[in-house]
Amino acid sequence: MKLKIFVYTFFLLLLLLLQSTLLGYARIYNVKPNLLVIFIVCVALLRGNVEGATVGFFAGLLLDMAFGKILGFYCLLGFYLGLAVGSVNRRLYRENYLVVVFFTFIATVLYEAAVYILSNFMTGRLELLMPFTVKILPEAAYNSIVSIIVFFIVIKISHKFEETSKAARKY
Amino acid sequence: MLRLFRSKWFIVSLITIFILIIMGVSANKNSKVNWLSNIISVPLTPVQAFFSSIGQRIDDGLSFFHDIDAVRKENEALKMKVIELEKENRELLSFKDKNDELREALNLKAQFDDFEIEGANIIAIDPGNWFNIFKIDKGGKDGIAADCPVVTNSKGLVGRVMSSDLTSSKVLTIIDEDSAVACWISKAGGGHARVRGDMLLKEQGRCRLDYIPLDVDVEVGDIIETSGLGGIYPKGILVGKVIEVRKTNSEMDRYAIVEPAADFKRLEEVYVLKSRIENTETGSVKK
Repeated sequence: MKLKIFVYTFFLLLLLLLQSTLLGYARIYNVKPNLLVIFIVCVALLRGNVEGATVGFFAGLLLDMAFGKILGFYCLLGFYLGLAVGSVNRRLYRENYLVVVFFTFIATVLYEAAVYILSNFMTGRLELLMPFTVKILPEAAYNSIVSIIVFFIVIKISHKFEETSKAARKY
Repeated sequence: MLRLFRSKWFIVSLITIFILIIMGVSANKNSKVNWLSNIISVPLTPVQAFFSSIGQRIDDGLSFFHDIDAVRKENEALKMKVIELEKENRELLSFKDKNDELREALNLKAQFDDFEIEGANIIAIDPGNWFNIFKIDKGGKDGIAADCPVVTNSKGLVGRVMSSDLTSSKVLTIIDEDSAVACWISKAGGGHARVRGDMLLKEQGRCRLDYIPLDVDVEVGDIIETSGLGGIYPKGILVGKVIEVRKTNSEMDRYAIVEPAADFKRLEEVYVLKSRIENTETGSVKK
């Protein structure tokens, strides 16, 4: 349990740092990938909805503290994202890269659409197609590609967790 | 009853309500909950500064090879320009002396007299793709408070401080959709208008000029300055230049596209204008 908390904290902080600094130089079509969303999706797929929701909650909290306009906004979205993705995992073969790519794409579209709608619906300037073509779909495609790398790392972590929990059960 | 408390839906809705309450409380700028963000942003600030300096160095290194040809050509052109400008400069200096004299006679205040200028580096940018917020390495410790105006070294308007933690602050740029600046179209027969961010235009680092009065004839090349209305930005900061005027169905509906004086793609350091006059609002919070 301690190991888990440590590893997740380390990865969340690292991803947030990378994303807010170096990734600004890795823009394609003016979008950069959202590493934290990818991480939430990977963890939720591999480790189930409880861990997914927890990681989502704290990832969102970090985003809120570092950059949010209102404390709790990304927190709530991340929590729901982890919960939703984690809840479908039983019926699928989890350690398949295609599944992850697919889920990252869908999750990014839903997440970013929610961010756009929730942060703009009071201003009366909502548009239907433009945000999708300009931001959401390019980002979703970019995210899907990057998710392969992140998933590779998360699988390694997940195996490590399973080993330690098995070892703990023996004694 | 016990089963209800243990059920997943109960826990989920409990957490949801909890977060909604926190959102409600933190929406107030002066609330204590916002101090929470110090926990993460104070230790993160030096690390972010380190990371973004690495990124800048790599970017500079890569663009060095790319730029060398362009630089050579530019050098030639600039040399010619220097000669031209030196001549012009001499003429202008005499005008300036005269202007200073006249200004003194009229007892006009210097432009940024009420403000102290604080330089700051950009250390991180918003992780998402929607907003144009960045973080600078100066915060409440250095006397920076919410709503301080932020400019570039050539005095072009960048935005305003959205909130400040102990060692860092978040800056909302004028190309973000949430930003609106009261402006003055500075030409003979100019008028008040408003510059605000636009989702499509901010990709190119531009913003749009709204609420143009009917009797003002806006043209390409007009200079836009802050008007001082609204109380956040002082009067007379350069915002940018009109590069296109778009008319929709009627004359009432027209708007213009403004190219800001600040280049938002290449920003590295900015200057925060700190008010010398103690803000009464923040003063009351300190108690």
